[in-house]
Amino acid sequence: MDLDTLLSFEWGVMAPEFIILGVATLLSIIDLFMKRESSRKPLAWMAGAGVLAALVSIFLQLDHEVTSILYDTYRLDSFSKAFKILLLLGTLLVLVLASNYKKEDLEENRGEFYYLLLAALLGAMMMASSADLITLFVGLELLSLASYIMAGLERKNKRSNESAFKYVVSGGIATAITLFGMSYVFGLTGETNLFKIAENMGEVELLKHGFLLVFAFIITFAGLTFKIAAAPLHMWAPDVYEGAPVPVTAFLSVVSKIAGFVIMLRFIIITFIAAAGIDGDPLLLQVQPYIMALAAATMIIGNVTALRQRNIKRMFAYSSIAQAGYILVPFVSNSSLLFELIWFYLLAYLFMNIGAFTVIQLLTSQERSNDVSVFRGLYRRSPWLAVPMTFFLLSLAGIPVTAGFIGKFGIFMGALGLQPAHYWLAAVMMATTLVSYVYYFNIIAIMFFRDEEEAKVSVPPGMAAVLAFCTASILILGVMPDLALDFFYGNFDVNEFFMRIEDEVHTHTH
Amino acid sequence: MLQISWLIPLFPLLSFILLLIFRKSRSEGTAWIGVLLTGISLVLSVGIWLAVWQGDEIKTEGTWFHIGERAITMGFEVNPLNALMLVIVSLVSFLVHLYSKGYMHGDERFPVFFAYLGLFSFAMLGLVLSPNLLQLYMFWELVGLGSFLLIGFYYYKPEAKKAAKKAFIMTRIGDVGLFIGMVLLFWQVGSFEYDDIFASVQNGEISSGMLTLTALCIFVGAIGKSGQLPLHTWLPDAMEGPTPVSALIHAATMVAAGVYLVAAMYPLFQASETALTVVAVVGGVTAIFAASIGLMQKDIKRVLAYSTVSQLGYMMLALGASGYVAGIFHLTTHAFFKALLFLAAGSVIHAVHTQNIEEMGGLWKKLRLTGLLFLIGALAISGFPLLSGFFSKDEILASTYADGRYGLFWLAVVAAFMTAFYMFRLFFLVFTGKPRGNQSKVHESPSVMTLPMIVLGVLAVVAGYLNTTWFGTFLSDYLAKGPVELPHGDHHGPGWIPIVATAASLLGIGLAYLIYQKETLSRSWLSRMFPGLSHIIYNKWYVDEGYDATFVKGTKGLSKLGVLFDRYVVDGLVASVTAGVQGLAKAGSRLQNGQVQSYGTAAIFGLVILLLIVALTGGYFS
Repeated sequence: MDLDTLLSFEWGVMAPEFIILGVATLLSIIDLFMKRESSRKPLAWMAGAGVLAALVSIFLQLDHEVTSILYDTYRLDSFSKAFKILLLLGTLLVLVLASNYKKEDLEENRGEFYYLLLAALLGAMMMASSADLITLFVGLELLSLASYIMAGLERKNKRSNESAFKYVVSGGIATAITLFGMSYVFGLTGETNLFKIAENMGEVELLKHGFLLVFAFIITFAGLTFKIAAAPLHMWAPDVYEGAPVPVTAFLSVVSKIAGFVIMLRFIIITFIAAAGIDGDPLLLQVQPYIMALAAATMIIGNVTALRQRNIKRMFAYSSIAQAGYILVPFVSNSSLLFELIWFYLLAYLFMNIGAFTVIQLLTSQERSNDVSVFRGLYRRSPWLAVPMTFFLLSLAGIPVTAGFIGKFGIFMGALGLQPAHYWLAAVMMATTLVSYVYYFNIIAIMFFRDEEEAKVSVPPGMAAVLAFCTASILILGVMPDLALDFFYGNFDVNEFFMRIEDEVHTHTH
Repeated sequence: MLQISWLIPLFPLLSFILLLIFRKSRSEGTAWIGVLLTGISLVLSVGIWLAVWQGDEIKTEGTWFHIGERAITMGFEVNPLNALMLVIVSLVSFLVHLYSKGYMHGDERFPVFFAYLGLFSFAMLGLVLSPNLLQLYMFWELVGLGSFLLIGFYYYKPEAKKAAKKAFIMTRIGDVGLFIGMVLLFWQVGSFEYDDIFASVQNGEISSGMLTLTALCIFVGAIGKSGQLPLHTWLPDAMEGPTPVSALIHAATMVAAGVYLVAAMYPLFQASETALTVVAVVGGVTAIFAASIGLMQKDIKRVLAYSTVSQLGYMMLALGASGYVAGIFHLTTHAFFKALLFLAAGSVIHAVHTQNIEEMGGLWKKLRLTGLLFLIGALAISGFPLLSGFFSKDEILASTYADGRYGLFWLAVVAAFMTAFYMFRLFFLVFTGKPRGNQSKVHESPSVMTLPMIVLGVLAVVAGYLNTTWFGTFLSDYLAKGPVELPHGDHHGPGWIPIVATAASLLGIGLAYLIYQKETLSRSWLSRMFPGLSHIIYNKWYVDEGYDATFVKGTKGLSKLGVLFDRYVVDGLVASVTAGVQGLAKAGSRLQNGQVQSYGTAAIFGLVILLLIVALTGGYFS
């Protein structure tokens, strides 16, 4: 690649990534020159400002047409914009949590946390924009490696160390499986570019190997379930969530999970949409029962096992496994609503889960315990914490007037709407939702139906802002979901997702 | 007038918000906020009802949000059925607010209680005004939430906490059915609107199998909310809540929502003979089953709770037997007399501080007014001639008979007999005889409590004249204006039905009298009064033993059977499901042993299983 080609790319489309990369680099340098004992809070503000700037740059790109640079490895399309907004929004809220995290162990190395977080975010954003197996994988690994370190950031805490170690080992297994599956795809099609893979999928020669393709699909899919914490690669989540610092847990359960869905959608939908499986039948139809089984297993394992948890972080780990199961349901029905259903649910999930983790962080750090009893009598002690928490739980449970209800409602409609309707999957979803009421409502009962004269919980202004923002978003999206849906329809065109840009080098000037 | 009907639910909502703001207030004057605001709702409801009576109707809707191409709407609707419900709900809510002012006196969370009442009333009124299933479902859940908060109001009692959770979870089981039925209907019809659904049903656009399936799914929701077999066990436990709550939620409004749902979706049910039969059978069996349990209970509120379950069974039976008017009629009269009975029971509990009827007795003299009102309620529910329950129950029996469901008809007659018996057992044990417990300082409740009871007492007597064959079938003419085409006019069954019903009622009352009242009558007093009957009185023991051997033993046995069924079969089923879930949870936790190697093994194992299945089903080996 000569300099002319390099300069001919429209680099402006990568503005959000560049901003994050720049801020992360800047932070690491500043951190180096900061005194050991001085507070790292300014770094948090700078990181936050960087994320906000990236968010603004995406909004400025909303009208930008589909563009692809770097030999079609990086794409700016509706899909990447829509999901990057989620990733950035989630990271922004996690940053507030992190800057208010009070633990002596963490104090000395907090600086690292902020730029690791940004590095992880950068990996996730690259995944949203990738159109090539190699860059997808690099993005995935960037996110993973940064996350591994973050999980073990409390160096003197054994649990945190254990958490990081398990995360690395499980992550290694998942990466191996994913790569193994991808190698089949590459071997069969001879391409790494997603669109070229899709093109080659139609070749007659490949029809004979439909069976191998189904194999490749299932192996890759199973490997990718790691990031979203769904079966069969879900078991790391409870241990890692439990040991990691709360802001990291929030990051893993929200931002990292969104990134997991992003790579699933990118890789699976583009490459396999027209692929033929065994006997030449459509592959996506053929693997439906397997995705269905995994979705059902995830919902059942998550919700049922959550019943027995006394540790609040473990309970939320299983809860987040269950939520991943719900979001897998649209993959099965694979309707035209796929993108909007998943996008809306993830948006709602972002608010309700980060909101819940905000309350969890405040309570667990004040009480120095992770037991569910930290919630006892919260309504009497701090009603301004108990009421938002109630809304988050109601939303997670999918009770009307919350965003969670609309999200679940949409998924449910999708599951029953297309022929053939997936009655069993819908029934499993409803039944496990019912089971989830038991543990979500248990927390509500502990908050409201227990009288305990305990100290009030002090809420720093940043945390209060996150709580207010998340609560308001959940309620507004629950009452007026069209605010988000209209934004989605108005700015994003799902067809762009499949739009292949033929030219390898673009010289658009705008 | 009708354009403003959407305001009706907002006043209780306002009360909820205001009272939450004043929740720390120690003044009991805060109650007047709730009373006043629900009073406004009541006035509006009555006005709207009168307008609808003149033939007005309204339906206003706007787009709420989109799913794909399809618009989901939201709005409100007033028709004869829900205008009537509006009046019932806002009236009972208003009276219960007033009553609670006295009953909750001295409670330290006084304003919070009224706030919750407001939230519940808002949700219930919103449910009634909903013009589509989705909106109904949302309020349906909100109603459950209000009920959860109110049952658990005495949260320092472990039973109350448990009952609140049980009620919430068990009714949710029903909601799963409702939700599935609703979404299935949406994909058949393309809308959640009642009107659109009915039009599709009428035009035969839905296959008969799908009609039955969706109707049954929706009925499952009604079973949960209305405490029908086998999802009824939460209702008696819900009596742990404050008594005014029982009167409002678990007698007149929320539990009737299931019946209302079936009535509101009636054209769907009418289109499926199977669905109607299921509704009728579940209702009929529940009616006699719950009544039999009521015979043995010692807690005054539990007797009333089982009685509620039984009466709701009657309403379902009526709807299932094409007795649309009969079902709504009984819903109306039942709301009045059952709320009255609960409030009177609350007044008794307020005075003697116990709910055990074995510790009561002889209260007639001390609680004159309460006793009299309780008697009116008991007579009404027993179907005593000329009181409201008599007419509505008669209508149900006539419908069932006219529909050719003779087995269920006789079941209902026996249940009527049992109802009369257990109500008067209650009455005699509580109000007559000698005091059996410590009854110091027993005095009548304040007028803020007795006034609502008097209003309900009057209604319990006169509400029956809404629909009689003597003065006019006002109610059925009124309901005929609604969206539901009435099945086959009025059911003037054979003339002997009222006689049988009356006989069953009187027999029950008489039997209760002989068993629980006879102790106060000495043999000599009776023989002086009726010398000619002395030898019969001589045989009183004989008769008593005869009754004991037949009716009492029989009913006792039946009741025991009911309790046993309840305990072993129903609870067993529930327990086995719970055990299954718990076992799964245990297995899941055991697998999660903290060894990262085993996680890897599990993941690979899962993957291998998937691949094996692909290999086997994909024909790789063939």
